[in-house]
Amino acid sequence: MRIPVCLVAAASLLGATTAIAQGFKPTRTVEAIVHTGPGGGSDVFARAIAVMLEKEKLLPVRLQVVNKPGGNGNVAVAYVAEKKGDPNTIAFFTGNWLANYLVAAEAKFTIRDLTPVARLVLEPAVIAVKADAPYKTLKDFIGAATKNPGKLKQSGGSITSRDNVVRQLLQQATGARWAYISYPGGGQRVAALLGGHVDIMVIEPEEAGEHIRAGNMRVLAQVTEKRLARFSDVPTLKEAGFDVPVVPQVRGVVAPPGIPKENVEYWQALFHRLTQTPSWKKYVEDNQFEDGYLGSAELVTFMDGFNDRMRGILKEAGVKTVR
Amino acid sequence: MDILGGLANGFAVAFQPLNLLWCFVGVLLGTLVGIMPGLGPPATIAMLLPLTFKMSPAGAIIMLAGIYYGAKYGGSTTSILLNMPGESASVVTCLDGYQMARKGRAGPALGISAIASFVAGTFGVLGLMLVAPPLAKLALSFSSPEYFGLMALGLAMVVLLAGRSMVKALLAALVGLWIASIGTDLFSATSRFTFGQVELLSGIDFVVVAIGVFALGEVLGNLETREGVQMLPMPRGLLNLLPTLQDLKDCRFAFANGSVIGFLVGVLPGAGSTIASFLSYGVEKAVSRRREQFGTGVIEGVAAPEGANNSETGGALVPLLTLGIPGSGTTAILLAALVLWGFRPGPLFIPDNPGLFWGLVASMYIGNVMLLVLNLPLVPLFAQVLRTPSYILYPLILGVSMIGVYSTSSSLFDLWLLAGFGLLGYVMRKLDYPAAPLILALALGNDFERALRQSLMMSEGSLSILVTRPISAAMLSLAVLVLLIPAFGRFNAWRLRALEQE
Repeated sequence: MRIPVCLVAAASLLGATTAIAQGFKPTRTVEAIVHTGPGGGSDVFARAIAVMLEKEKLLPVRLQVVNKPGGNGNVAVAYVAEKKGDPNTIAFFTGNWLANYLVAAEAKFTIRDLTPVARLVLEPAVIAVKADAPYKTLKDFIGAATKNPGKLKQSGGSITSRDNVVRQLLQQATGARWAYISYPGGGQRVAALLGGHVDIMVIEPEEAGEHIRAGNMRVLAQVTEKRLARFSDVPTLKEAGFDVPVVPQVRGVVAPPGIPKENVEYWQALFHRLTQTPSWKKYVEDNQFEDGYLGSAELVTFMDGFNDRMRGILKEAGVKTVR
Repeated sequence: MDILGGLANGFAVAFQPLNLLWCFVGVLLGTLVGIMPGLGPPATIAMLLPLTFKMSPAGAIIMLAGIYYGAKYGGSTTSILLNMPGESASVVTCLDGYQMARKGRAGPALGISAIASFVAGTFGVLGLMLVAPPLAKLALSFSSPEYFGLMALGLAMVVLLAGRSMVKALLAALVGLWIASIGTDLFSATSRFTFGQVELLSGIDFVVVAIGVFALGEVLGNLETREGVQMLPMPRGLLNLLPTLQDLKDCRFAFANGSVIGFLVGVLPGAGSTIASFLSYGVEKAVSRRREQFGTGVIEGVAAPEGANNSETGGALVPLLTLGIPGSGTTAILLAALVLWGFRPGPLFIPDNPGLFWGLVASMYIGNVMLLVLNLPLVPLFAQVLRTPSYILYPLILGVSMIGVYSTSSSLFDLWLLAGFGLLGYVMRKLDYPAAPLILALALGNDFERALRQSLMMSEGSLSILVTRPISAAMLSLAVLVLLIPAFGRFNAWRLRALEQE
């Protein structure tokens, strides 16, 4: 959508006081690409950020969310890659972007071809069972899974999702085996657990919170380094006796390939500033996210480590990697 | 809070002038979005989301919900007038709706679709109000094997959509299933039938195929016969543009059928309005006394699916509001909106926010009345489209098709696909292959496959899980019965012939 020139001019005048890097400033509406449809995790995250940027008056222009769903994120990556050099495009990535191209041979572009800008949040998770399940601790569940290999079931997203990574890591560490059933929508995963069709799931704390309050769900452990404020009586994986790496869902920002260094610095500083604002702090707290800001350089190191671990996990799961 | 008290409270909220205005804005936007093929309610709601932060939560949810159910009213318009389904839920409306238009009965078709939408939409709200919490619990007992049964039942409807040749119908359905399998597999994240094309990783959008095969196929076919030189017949006089009393009588059962099936399917988080519309069309045809006339412009064939896809919205709000579980793209964005406004959707949402829930319910009664009043006068206006000479109408259909497809994906690749499927639709028409089975199989293919594979994962590979669970066994038996319908007919014909010969 085009914004009249006079409005843009007015907006940039307002924005002049908040301009961070010298030289570069977006001049028209910025497109923010996400890989989910409206209502999906990334879409909601991007729209929340658009609202915060407006409220805190950090961006002189409007941030418009553009949905490029499909191919587990590969379609969105390809779209951003084709915007090579475009100063008015950014994208919100998730861990899926870092995992999916490992298995999709068609992906001509990968997230590693894009320009890393910043990591923003880490989303912790909790491991939940139905309230009337016989398992009181994660040890109970692992014990039951060891006794009946392959009989117990977990609901989750695609095979490269964090849900499955947590399962693979726990299976490797304990030798227990249980089945993993993929559901395309988060709602269906919860419905499968509440209907008693699966035994366990990895779920966002905020989402689990309401089901716990209603007495439908019980949390066995949290996939975190230290206990979340609202789950202070639930052990972390390590405290529950399972010393496996903590895999948070990661969200952050990338930009098209081939943009000048000053543009990267502009975006990096903008998002750093965003993470210092009260709106951001409230948002992170409300959703029980972990503040996970990393600048462009550290993000590269993080991506390397993430890719290596993912490759190992996929191999373990019997999925052929192509890169 | 008891229901009457809650409802009184709700109407007090919904009748506040500002909320009435938001309700009207919502249903008006919804109607427009529904009429335009392409841009759907989820994208519209997402675009409006930033504006809602300045509104009261009650006004905001009333408006967004209005877009959701309002779009279902508008969805039938292009199906009936141009054979161009704007969304998957109105594909089946093309079958009889467009044939009615060709016979000069576009007005009654549009009118009955508004009336069916109103009746069933209101039924959906009633259901949402009266039985939401217990029904949501019941919906949870549905898991993958049950969804497999439901999808199999839906696919069995192919035999009811077949034209003269059952073999051709089944072949078309197989092609539909194959198209559905293109893209990235959910379970293994590997790609299937993408031929190295990155654009195909996300699969082929349903709307592209439906518009291509139906609308473009129709245009190409008509160009060849040159029949289109003259305009479609259009009776004069306002009365002839609305359904007659006889029409309403014919649709008595369709109203009830669409209302009930739509609502029940809507409550299931894994089903959706497409299967609701196909199922109610199938049921309508299976029990009809003039079964053989379906597909030639029977008014019940429009009323049943149009009712079903409206009643479905009331049903779909049940798991959303009572459990915080969204079943479709639109309910997912509504859930996201509630979260962004600071609510916590979940099992305690209604007890925590009775005013909001009852306000929404009351506004939906009002909204459905507004939609009926809004849509009926539009009928004569839209019917004028058919007065357009074909040398203007056909290019117009081409243009609207392309804009519709491009507006959903902004991808040139999809326009090429549209052209390809237009040709496919033309060839199918020439060779007398029915298009509806292909579209039905494409719409259900993914869910069908997914439910089967999920079931097999649950049972460690044993197919018995599909028949040992009562609900799934019942639906599979029903599916087999439906598949046998044509055999009965043939047996009957053979018996009559045998009798005559004696």
